[in-house]
Amino acid sequence: MANRRQFLAGGGAAFASLGLVAPAIAQGAKPRVVVIGGGAGGATAARYIAKDSEGKIAVTLVEENANYQTCFHSNLFLGGFRDYASIQHSYGNLPRQGVNVIRARATVIDRDKKEVVLSNGQRLPYDRCVVSPGIDLRYDSVPGWSKAAEDAMPHAWKPGAQTRLLKRRLDAVPDGGNIIMIAPPNPFRCPPGPYERVSMMAHALKRTGRTRSKIFVIDPKESFSKQGLFQEGWEKHYAGLVEWLGPKIHDGIKSVDPKTNTVVTGFETYRNAALVNVIPAQWAGAIARDSKLANDAGYCPIKPESMQSTMDPNIYVLGDSAIAGDMPKSAFSANSQAKVAANAIRGELTGSRVFPARYTNTCWSLIETDDTVKVGGTFEPKDGKIASVTPFISKTGEPADLRKQTQAENMGWYAGIIADMFG
Amino acid sequence: MPAPLLFSLGAAAALALFGSAVWASTKVKGDRAFGEYLSSECVTCHQISGRVVGGVPAIVGIEAESFVALMESYKNKVRENQVMQTIASKFNDEEIAALAVYFESVKPKR
Repeated sequence: MANRRQFLAGGGAAFASLGLVAPAIAQGAKPRVVVIGGGAGGATAARYIAKDSEGKIAVTLVEENANYQTCFHSNLFLGGFRDYASIQHSYGNLPRQGVNVIRARATVIDRDKKEVVLSNGQRLPYDRCVVSPGIDLRYDSVPGWSKAAEDAMPHAWKPGAQTRLLKRRLDAVPDGGNIIMIAPPNPFRCPPGPYERVSMMAHALKRTGRTRSKIFVIDPKESFSKQGLFQEGWEKHYAGLVEWLGPKIHDGIKSVDPKTNTVVTGFETYRNAALVNVIPAQWAGAIARDSKLANDAGYCPIKPESMQSTMDPNIYVLGDSAIAGDMPKSAFSANSQAKVAANAIRGELTGSRVFPARYTNTCWSLIETDDTVKVGGTFEPKDGKIASVTPFISKTGEPADLRKQTQAENMGWYAGIIADMFG
Repeated sequence: MPAPLLFSLGAAAALALFGSAVWASTKVKGDRAFGEYLSSECVTCHQISGRVVGGVPAIVGIEAESFVALMESYKNKVRENQVMQTIASKFNDEEIAALAVYFESVKPKR
């Protein structure tokens, strides 16, 4: 008489040979997915895998923060268009949707044992792991700047205390005080972000009558996202308040001195700035690099059909950490990638239908009240990368009612993606 | 004759009876499961609950025929909106039908 183990093994083999059930189920265990990072990539992936597998997959989300603070729309907080509470969200809805949320920092992935090691020493075994830690800042990328200097010269490129610090510092800039932004080199999180931030800073200065002040943008790049649209907007709304300097004009960022708020470029030294906002170079979150999922450039190569890591078939990398071809590093991209990965992972673990990868992104940027522009498109796997299929961008000289409508869309999208991430 | 019975059952009951393979709306036939997957592109902005915020309208519970007509109007650039024209232009007839029957089957939870 066959014992239980033999019965399960035999039954499993029979089902597996029909291609109906994946190995983890055939062995009688519920397959396990561990998701690292509860942002636009991770929270979406966790929620979709739990929701669509209807309890057939055990989903655990590892996140070190108690709440999620969105980087997207943090510029609107800076400009006074949103309050801080409105960009803070709870993970409280996820457990009700079948996601086990563990508040801890994932320190490393033991890929041989297929376990995620947490800061509290706990080890979480997985069948598939989703890695979505966002970016880390490269504190050594601007000479003279460091982690110790991030309060004196805030970055506010990872949300939370830094976001609020930058707003306090912006609000304290006296009329006539200069703001210097050091923009980041490619690739970085949120390509239009620095320039929407400049717009929001200029809005705050103008609204409070600080029109003798000036914002200098020292950019290591020759050009930037939506450049024509931003520059048109700055000229229209903030004439004389914003000066953008590309590398040919400043001849390189030589150093900063956080003690004296000095910024030295090849051609100019800016002394006694009222505020210096350093947005440094970036790379994938430490867990991705420490687990050897990144390449020499510090980001993680993936298969464009599924977001599966090219370094490890049991791992999927989403969002800002991944090398996603033509897709920008945005929350919308991460959310879109999460759904492709969730579909693929569920297919592998439960034998559910797997559909071809389809990706979408749109990035809205607020320039001034009711004047919003957008850039976006759809993407598909092609020639080994995620390639742009149908790109679009707002046009210069658009009528005011269209720009106002675009802002309404921006607010609708924000509410939509939050609902899609957290349920 | 099974067809009138099917139509009289309503979306939820018919779904329970016939599963999710191919969903017959009054006139649109589509693969609901495929539509559900494709819908993940839509629900980043259009909330699955049917809740409306800002300038993003609700699309759940729309009759499948109307949904197809709307998508065609974006595809043919009769209706204006860069995001929607871009998204619609990429979908073929089978995909639009799949989306239409899926969204018709979702009840708003407002």
